[in-house]
Amino acid sequence: MDTGVSGGGDEKAEFDPSEITYVSYGGEHHLPLIMNLVDQELSEPYSIFTYRYFVYLWPQLSFLAFHKEKCVGTVVCKMGEHRSTYRGYIAMLVVVKPYRGKGIATELVSRSIRVMQESGCEEVTLEAEVTNKGALALYGRLGFIRAKRLFRYYLNGVDAFRLKLLFPQPYIHPSLLMEAHEDSIRRSSSDTIEVSH
Amino acid sequence: MDHLLACEATWHKGHSLAQTVFSCIYLLRPERTTSHALLHSYSSVIRATCKAVISVVSDARTHEEEDLFTMMYGLNLNGEDEKCLSILNAVEETISRQLRACRALSARRKVLEDIEPLQNNPMLEEGYCRAILARLRFRKHFYHVLMCLKRPQGRGLQLARKHVASCISELKAIRELSGQHTACGGQTISEDRTTASGRQPVGFDASLNARLSAPTPPRSIKILSWSEAIEYFLKLLQDLDIISSCSLENSLDCVLHFVVQFQKSQPDLVARAHLQRLLLQDGKLFGREAIFSVISKAATLPEVVKNHDIEKMECVIQLGQLVINLLRILCANSAWQRRKLGKILQDWRVTYIQLELALRSKFGEPSGTPSGENICMNILKQLLVWVEEKVYWIASRFLMLGFELELYSTSEYGMVYWYIYVVSVKLVEKLHHRISISNRGKRVKCRGKKKRVPGKDATRDIQFSPTVLFLQSHICLAEGLTMMLAALRNEKMILESPTPFNSDQERFFQHFELLQKAGIPDHNSYQSFEGSTKNASLSMLAMYNHFKDAQRIAKEVKSSFSDDPERLSELRRIEQVAEHNSVALSLLCRVGDALDSSLKLSFEFSHHPHFATAVVRRS
Repeated sequence: MDTGVSGGGDEKAEFDPSEITYVSYGGEHHLPLIMNLVDQELSEPYSIFTYRYFVYLWPQLSFLAFHKEKCVGTVVCKMGEHRSTYRGYIAMLVVVKPYRGKGIATELVSRSIRVMQESGCEEVTLEAEVTNKGALALYGRLGFIRAKRLFRYYLNGVDAFRLKLLFPQPYIHPSLLMEAHEDSIRRSSSDTIEVSH
Repeated sequence: MDHLLACEATWHKGHSLAQTVFSCIYLLRPERTTSHALLHSYSSVIRATCKAVISVVSDARTHEEEDLFTMMYGLNLNGEDEKCLSILNAVEETISRQLRACRALSARRKVLEDIEPLQNNPMLEEGYCRAILARLRFRKHFYHVLMCLKRPQGRGLQLARKHVASCISELKAIRELSGQHTACGGQTISEDRTTASGRQPVGFDASLNARLSAPTPPRSIKILSWSEAIEYFLKLLQDLDIISSCSLENSLDCVLHFVVQFQKSQPDLVARAHLQRLLLQDGKLFGREAIFSVISKAATLPEVVKNHDIEKMECVIQLGQLVINLLRILCANSAWQRRKLGKILQDWRVTYIQLELALRSKFGEPSGTPSGENICMNILKQLLVWVEEKVYWIASRFLMLGFELELYSTSEYGMVYWYIYVVSVKLVEKLHHRISISNRGKRVKCRGKKKRVPGKDATRDIQFSPTVLFLQSHICLAEGLTMMLAALRNEKMILESPTPFNSDQERFFQHFELLQKAGIPDHNSYQSFEGSTKNASLSMLAMYNHFKDAQRIAKEVKSSFSDDPERLSELRRIEQVAEHNSVALSLLCRVGDALDSSLKLSFEFSHHPHFATAVVRRS
């Protein structure tokens, strides 16, 4: 959905990375902090129902970053079955401008991804604007590829990349995969084949 | 008029008709404009134009974009289309007479007719008439372009080109007149203006159709500026001119080449829809040539296939549908096109297997087969070769589009070029095979007429056609880049940090999943990629320089394409990439381990959109 982690303007906060504490979503008291951050930093306006959808169903996937009791970053995610693949989805990732560029976003999203991996997800996905260089670099460093380009995905006409991270799977020799696939094609070749479009 | 043009361009660019063109009250209530001839005629031709454009985009069904584009929101575009031009012509004549009257007055000649001025300031009347006339003429010629392109079997293409030229001329006149007006007025006009004069348009309300835009009220949108709208229409007209210059040749290879070249200019939806409608009408190429006939020519099948039952085989009918689908997909926007090309690879693979099974089940062993069935067997064999060649062509296009869509990061170039190399080798193999079969067939035909020269047939078989050599230059570049990137990685001259959650193998599988599922190429995998590149070193590359081979082949084959400016241009780009990479390679071999922090190595697409050039700079 949206990521706000690049740029930062002129004012930078002075802090040591060890001063940042990361907490898992703990309940309703965290919801206004998340909403304020996202409303302030990201362009897409979300209703409270959208936030509740994510944090109520997947509280273990949302994290907040604090610096001296001030909430400076958050990540909101979900996971579930999608076309026979169990996958995670990163909905929102934001760090306030003065705190950007110090690895807070990387740490937030890494924590979510680890929980997704431990929960059995096969892959993680999200969309990012093609112009959001900061987000693309961040996710690239974590191993995401640009799987697709989505033409005029956003209302302002900007394209998006669908980013995907595939977790290592148990190894199956490609020739076995190919054989199984060709066998299934041969078995079904007498049926009418519908051309995809 | 100007704001309406800007609205129309905004609609073409992806916003709804309700929020753009139909934010104009005059279009919503055309019956109320009948008392004002100019306004009525202009509104009528706009409605007729929008209707024609929606029709072509609906027919094309390019997916994704046209979902919003063709939504009418219950708005009525029906009108007296046939009459709109005659009304427009009448108004044009009236304003032309007014312009002549203005000029007569300026020259202090007697005015013969008593004509009502268009506005109150006599000093501005001449410029005003010229501005209105240019806009009316543009609309008239644009409507004619759409009507000419609508004619079946490409019959209106020549006339369409003439009207396109007139449109472009009128748009340039509109821009020039606006520039003169601004210069005379001396005022500064905002770049965001949607009118040439900078004045606010009258009769528009963005929220007019808010209730029609279900299910939620739409967000406000930004209408393109007047200058952006002019640029948009100039680009659209240039694209329509290219379409109108299509030679209508029934060669599938020529059509594929034409479409691929056309897409390089990144045409918008309206232009692409027109191209698709020209290519495919009533399930035939250009509305004339049956798809099986097109395939027969492309696969250089023998003439006897025309009277053969092979056309009725289910797998051959399926193949025809695949070709039609392929042409449709190639007319879509690049992002959607790439996704669909990846998905149809499996369909083509399935059809290949079906053809193979048909061949085996019908004929089993070739010996002892009656001669009539031998012909059928040979036709099926040739079709198989052609289908495989097309599969690799689609795979190659899929991979190259990844560069245009910026889907690959620098750390992935190595595996991408390796895959391009492997796919291109197979493509060239199949293409060369097809050409050889075709040449052998032609020689058999001529055998009775010419004396055979011993050994000459064998030599001819080995000679590569210019098309094959053209692709060979790409193969050399791809191989060179694969090896250079691998060598740099192996010798730690480009450092890549390991990613915490996965490795290159997972990224390889994700990028090439659709190709692997379709068995392209057979039994190759990440292990093959690793195996081919793990021992690459700069010293090895210094001994065998793929880039010099690419340069040599590109130079040799240029003369064969002397009448093909696009191929010549491509060969020049290949030469430039090869030369620059060769120089960079030499430098890197000399620098070796001394590539320190004072030198920065990057890969840029300054000479070719798909093949990167290594650039070494002082940091």
